[in-house]
Amino acid sequence: MLWVALHFPLLSLESFSATLLAADASAASAEPAIALVDEHRISAANAAAQAQGVKPGLKRATALALAPRLTLGQADPARDAEAMLPLAHAALAFTPQVSLQPACEPGAAADTVLLEVQASLRYFGGIDRLLQRLLRAIAPLGHTVRIATAATAQGAAVLARVVPPPRCLNLASTRQALAAAPVWLLGPGREHWEALQGMGLRQVGDLLGLPRAGLARRFGETLLAEIDAAFGRRPDPREAIVPPRLFESRLELFARADSTEQVLHGASILLARLVAWLAAQHAFVRRFRLLMHHETRWQGDRTPQATSLEIALAEPSRDSDHLLVLLRERLAQVQLPAPTLEIALQAEDIVKRAAPNSELFPTRQSENEGLTRLIERLQARLGADRVQRLAGVEDHRPERASRGQRADASGRPARASPRGGGGARVTDTRVATASSSAATVSRASHPVWLNPVAEPLAERRSRPLLDGRPLSLLSGPERIEAGWWDAELAERDYFIAEAADGALVWIYRARLPLSAAAESGWFLHGRFG
Amino acid sequence: MDAIPAPVAAPRPAPPGAERRLFPRSPARESARPLVREPLRAPETLHPSLWLGHQLGRIGSDAVATGFARLDAELPGGGWPRRALAELLLPHAGVGEIRLLAPALVAAQRADRLVMFFDPPAALAAAALAGLGFDVEELLIVQTRARVVPGSDSLWALEQALKSGHVGAIVAWLPPRLRADRLRRLQLAAHQHDGPAFVVREAAVAGRPTASPLRLGLQAGGADRLQVRVLKRRGPPLEAPLSLELPTVLSAAARRRSGSASERAAALHAATFVNFA
Repeated sequence: MLWVALHFPLLSLESFSATLLAADASAASAEPAIALVDEHRISAANAAAQAQGVKPGLKRATALALAPRLTLGQADPARDAEAMLPLAHAALAFTPQVSLQPACEPGAAADTVLLEVQASLRYFGGIDRLLQRLLRAIAPLGHTVRIATAATAQGAAVLARVVPPPRCLNLASTRQALAAAPVWLLGPGREHWEALQGMGLRQVGDLLGLPRAGLARRFGETLLAEIDAAFGRRPDPREAIVPPRLFESRLELFARADSTEQVLHGASILLARLVAWLAAQHAFVRRFRLLMHHETRWQGDRTPQATSLEIALAEPSRDSDHLLVLLRERLAQVQLPAPTLEIALQAEDIVKRAAPNSELFPTRQSENEGLTRLIERLQARLGADRVQRLAGVEDHRPERASRGQRADASGRPARASPRGGGGARVTDTRVATASSSAATVSRASHPVWLNPVAEPLAERRSRPLLDGRPLSLLSGPERIEAGWWDAELAERDYFIAEAADGALVWIYRARLPLSAAAESGWFLHGRFG
Repeated sequence: MDAIPAPVAAPRPAPPGAERRLFPRSPARESARPLVREPLRAPETLHPSLWLGHQLGRIGSDAVATGFARLDAELPGGGWPRRALAELLLPHAGVGEIRLLAPALVAAQRADRLVMFFDPPAALAAAALAGLGFDVEELLIVQTRARVVPGSDSLWALEQALKSGHVGAIVAWLPPRLRADRLRRLQLAAHQHDGPAFVVREAAVAGRPTASPLRLGLQAGGADRLQVRVLKRRGPPLEAPLSLELPTVLSAAARRRSGSASERAAALHAATFVNFA
């Protein structure tokens, strides 16, 4: 058995500073002074606050007198627990045997994750490589971490609090390191810290030589039980955590976010949690939802309680950068009806599959993936309907013969033609054009550019004018008569004409001028591009 | 964590007699100095981005054949440049620009790569494109000018596509009166784009400087002909415009009619087609 303990000494401070808006955090060039308050006393302070003299245990008023610009937050075990969960999820990608070490103080949230990695060593290529990858996996969550390894779970949890945390790979070295650890690192040892110190017992090793019965009588059974578990003399079963089936993580913002850019900072933290949850299940997300809960501004306020932003991906992904880009583009278009107090991220639509291979050189598959991402990004910003593919429609009226249809970002061949045999037809034309293109690329007498609305042309002596200069008709007429069935009757004689500058244009004259008063005379319908 | 910063070694002060030169000259170089160098015979062989004033520049990567032999002969590298913008200046849409670009774009599609059009100025006819050899369903059309502030999205979208490096060929109709620095930015993004990238702009910018290494002015030169003026290239200026024979739209008889259109003798007259309906 080889246990890895991840201890997060600044968890509650960091989980609080995540709720600060990005604007607040970056306003001062230096790190802002932050401290947490629990029952009117400072419970934790960051380095910037400690530099100004704020120490844990001070009264709130004293701390504010020392550092007037101090940002004070309320200590919140529930928030810490919420921040702890994704760290455990990130660890689940390395071994299924992950558990949380309960906190020493009652009421506080756990701040240590334990992993049993003996079975994973061979796969990840040794403990050093594994720890490297583990650190990289939890880095996006942005917490300070101390790592210890030991042969027992309890031992690893204790040793992770030692500065610097030792790496012990077998039971003998674990016991040796534990014996040198200060006694107050043991949970019950902290309660009896002063008594133990008064008796001259500073290190765990000092306790080992004492009679057990006496120790149990003075300090309780739990101290002995913990020492035995840490030294591997007593079974220490741990219950592995299981990631929830649905992902939901929320973040209560410290200040109200008035704009979507401010929401984005919090959302990026939630996305990192989502990615950790996905990594734990070896899954990829296909669709997720960002909820922004709004402040109710007055009684009977009609603004909605929450704005929901649904983001669907063409290709399931767990790349936090890509997800964040999509989220940013979508958020930029959203107008918040009211300031946001709390954001939440939910995901349930996931795909489980093997991770894609990473490739050294660009290949066909990586190009497809890159294109999918490009199209997704364009669609997120411009709107899904703004990225189109052309599709031919079998209609003789030129304005109806092609239609732009929304491009689906997944993969390139969008052969989803509305007609049944569409795929076959396309390949046929491709073969036909391929064979005939060598000789004459086209005898296509229809233009590439079409005016969406035919432009009426002036006429002089029965000759059409374009920009005040006469057109000379070169070829025609080509009669197109269609649409009697859908009230868009077109009866036109098309001509190819040469404009004064030599460009070819496509003009028509309505064949039956009497049929509609508006449709008489010459019209410019297209240009040969 | 609690890492103690390693003490930084203070730079050792130089001994007073030492030479105060950053890179001491090697004795070999000193001796070579007084010699008179032979002038280089062919300096353009030293580096691909060197060329003589009367030569066409060579570009690093192979160019994409335009499909028009006369144009290929006048372009550096023998075709449309890769990893750079090619600027086309048009008086108006519909002078034959699609037929000019079609061979290169179709070749990109045949090589199984994506072709993207940004903001085409009018609706595209699928059948006519298929007639030019395009696989229309593999053509992606991006409309970027629907939003309130025009131009802000078009450049962003174009830059994204160029930077992604996965698109085979790009044709973009840029918004008018584009600032020069914006175009420079696109040109920088195009370095990552492995394939030809065309930007179509209005003819009025012909006198202004441009960041793109190739700039062509297109003009209709009669029916099924295109006049190409090379306004900027890596090489000597080209005085006379090229007249290119485009894939034909007209039948042979109609083309003869077009040739004599100036006399207006043989041109079809609308009165020929009187409606008896």
